[in-house]
Amino acid sequence: MPNPRKPEKETITICAYCGVGCGFKAETIGEEIVRMTPWKEGKANHGHSCVKGRFAYDYWRHPDRVRTPMIRKSIDDPWQEVGWDEAFAHAASELKRLQVTYGRSSVGGVSSSRCTNEEIFLTQKFVRAVLGNNNIDNCARICHSPTQFGLSATVGAGAASQHFDSVLQSDVIMVVGANPTEGHPVFGSMMKRRVRQGAKLIVIDPRRTESVDSPHCRADVHLALRPGTNVAILNSIAHVVVRENRHDPEFIKARCEWREFEVWAELVGSDDYSPDTIGPIAGVDPEDIRRAARIYSSGPRSTIYYGLGVTEHSQGSTGVMCLGNLALSCGMYGREGVGVNPLRGQGNVQGGSCLGSWPHVFSGYRFVTDDATRESFEAEWGVGLDSEPGLRLPNMFDAALTGHFKGMYIMGEDPVQSDPNQNHIIAALRNMECVIIHDLFLNETAKYAHVFLPGSSSLEKDGTFTNAERRISRVRKVVEPVAGYQDWEVTVKLMNAMGYDISYAHAGEVLDELARLSPAYSGASFELLDRVGSAQWPVDKNAPEGTEVLHMQQFPRANGRGTFMLTGYVPTDERVSEQYPLLLTTGRILSQYNVGTQTRRTANSMWHSEDVLEMSRGDMQVRGLSDGDRVKLASRFGSTRLKVVESERVNPGVIYTTFHHAESKANAVTSDLSDWATNCPEYKVTAVEVTKLLPADWWQGESVAERPARRELEAAVAAVEEVV
Amino acid sequence: MSGGGERRGVAGEVIELDRLITMANQIGDFFAPYPPERAREGLRNHLRTYWDPRMRSALLAHIDAGGEGLDEGVIEGASLLRESAAEKSGYYGPPQA
Repeated sequence: MPNPRKPEKETITICAYCGVGCGFKAETIGEEIVRMTPWKEGKANHGHSCVKGRFAYDYWRHPDRVRTPMIRKSIDDPWQEVGWDEAFAHAASELKRLQVTYGRSSVGGVSSSRCTNEEIFLTQKFVRAVLGNNNIDNCARICHSPTQFGLSATVGAGAASQHFDSVLQSDVIMVVGANPTEGHPVFGSMMKRRVRQGAKLIVIDPRRTESVDSPHCRADVHLALRPGTNVAILNSIAHVVVRENRHDPEFIKARCEWREFEVWAELVGSDDYSPDTIGPIAGVDPEDIRRAARIYSSGPRSTIYYGLGVTEHSQGSTGVMCLGNLALSCGMYGREGVGVNPLRGQGNVQGGSCLGSWPHVFSGYRFVTDDATRESFEAEWGVGLDSEPGLRLPNMFDAALTGHFKGMYIMGEDPVQSDPNQNHIIAALRNMECVIIHDLFLNETAKYAHVFLPGSSSLEKDGTFTNAERRISRVRKVVEPVAGYQDWEVTVKLMNAMGYDISYAHAGEVLDELARLSPAYSGASFELLDRVGSAQWPVDKNAPEGTEVLHMQQFPRANGRGTFMLTGYVPTDERVSEQYPLLLTTGRILSQYNVGTQTRRTANSMWHSEDVLEMSRGDMQVRGLSDGDRVKLASRFGSTRLKVVESERVNPGVIYTTFHHAESKANAVTSDLSDWATNCPEYKVTAVEVTKLLPADWWQGESVAERPARRELEAAVAAVEEVV
Repeated sequence: MSGGGERRGVAGEVIELDRLITMANQIGDFFAPYPPERAREGLRNHLRTYWDPRMRSALLAHIDAGGEGLDEGVIEGASLLRESAAEKSGYYGPPQA
């Protein structure tokens, strides 16, 4: 539809949806956004965009936005609207009361990768400097924490080694557990362009994704592995590399720890990981494993892109290490067109990871147990800091169930909807006495909250985001915050209400502070970003305008060398059984974003009105199902209802759904298993069974209430109460 | 408002023991391919740098009580936390032993 109105003003900012972080021009008339157009100078997108960034912005003025702070004594009481000052005073007095009653460690916080670097930095400062403990986590815990762990272990930096444009120089592109054409569309298009130019494409994914087979894109090799066998397959690829002498001894000797390489080569080179052994375990033709290994190691420039299909497993960190090991062994680091690159789900997951919003590290991944690092923060902040690691997000909920964790500041997160094993999370929240939600909408978690602080969207604030290629870009305020404050101002006022005296004239001063305390960001400032547009960290005195490709000369480890980790395959405890014979895995679709809180409140919903369950023809026939049937999806942990469709994209025994709609409640069925190193939940593997719902059952579920999700949630809570 | 009867924050385990045992054994499984001395050190470094001190002491208390459900390698590695060398700086990467 043509837009006849001429915009009065343009503001250059960055899209807050996925980790690509496209530059956008927001065009406004007064306080109304009339158009978002992709910015040609944006270095991540070069003038391209997808349908989310382009069209899904009107959520910002949706009637559901909360515009006034609210408090209540009990979650059974109705919310009471109050002024900001009263909300801050109430929240502060409750947190203090809890710390006096239950101890300093009984409270904590979680920050969101929807928020700016400055806000994430301030949230961890609030927990560390004001609450006086390290119970601070970030939503990256439930998506990419294994990336930080696995890449730090092997190459010393938990981040993408390349810039996006680097893919245009790749000869081989290996995509593992990601679907860039849907999840990271602007990067996906660039990848497809390179494939059309002749680059070879290897996809490792249980599902025949759009990246495997869609217009303009066809994979040369697709390893449709059984969910949960990433480490087995990646070790087997390494096995072929090592046994066929396809590794790069010169690179390894010059740049890596040779002794660790030998130890690793002995492990992956053993017969345990031969394609003939692993093929049947993973449900993959051994010859395809060999082909993948030969193509990848031949390069000459081979690159790896991966997503949550690697990280969200009980061996998520091990899987990431496998990728680091493989790339190092083939010399695929330190040049254009190579490397290992996580595709981040949210706009600022990389920033969330970098800036110390973790219970065990300060910004720059430096341990809280390290005296020198801690002292630098103590000097800047003027308070003593806890030298022991705090609780991780899942452990905070665990500790709430045992009565040791009582209060929480939740900035821009919705754990009830997005965290695993929903019944467990709800029971934990009900055991807390002060849950503070800082968000745009009354989300599912707000049902169990005592204080609600209205948040501001990325269109209403100033700050920076760091995208998946480490690119720091300016978020610029396009319209005034609907509730009066930008999120970083709210956090500062909460700190003030707790008695910590601090003030910043604008968000740029927060960036200045975090730059003083974070080596990789030391050269970052609003002034620099206004001047050069954006900069990839490390941005410091050696690289005043940033660094496109990491590890060119050495790896950021003590001896400057990359290293190899032993990555034995340990099957997950989540296994199919007679009762739950199918494996459920999950993914995304182009038009919607994560749990859909924002995109579902825009016209984008016309493209994806509900989540559906994809199932192979054979599995449907056995269960007497036909296309469009309503089914019950049940696991050991819970159940939900979905519509089933026949799909050639999944193998027999594997089923798939997206998770964009609250009504689908995918997390009602996910397990409580998690990554061994980081507790990142194992979302990608759940043993389930699917049964046909009688029309009467479904009809009842749909018609009785306007919002089945709410009713079912209440039923789940009632069930939890019975157990408690 | 506060679900169970427990009102004190100090008594009892911070996290259910079964969950701690599961987590500890998973970490043990990862380090198992390393030679025993390195596996023990890897486990120690991990627990020291990533686990809340209350979780560490609950694990050690459980080991004192016999360590039921814990793999032998986990008991040996976690026990290193009692020694003064346990305070050495945390690190990423292969076990430094």
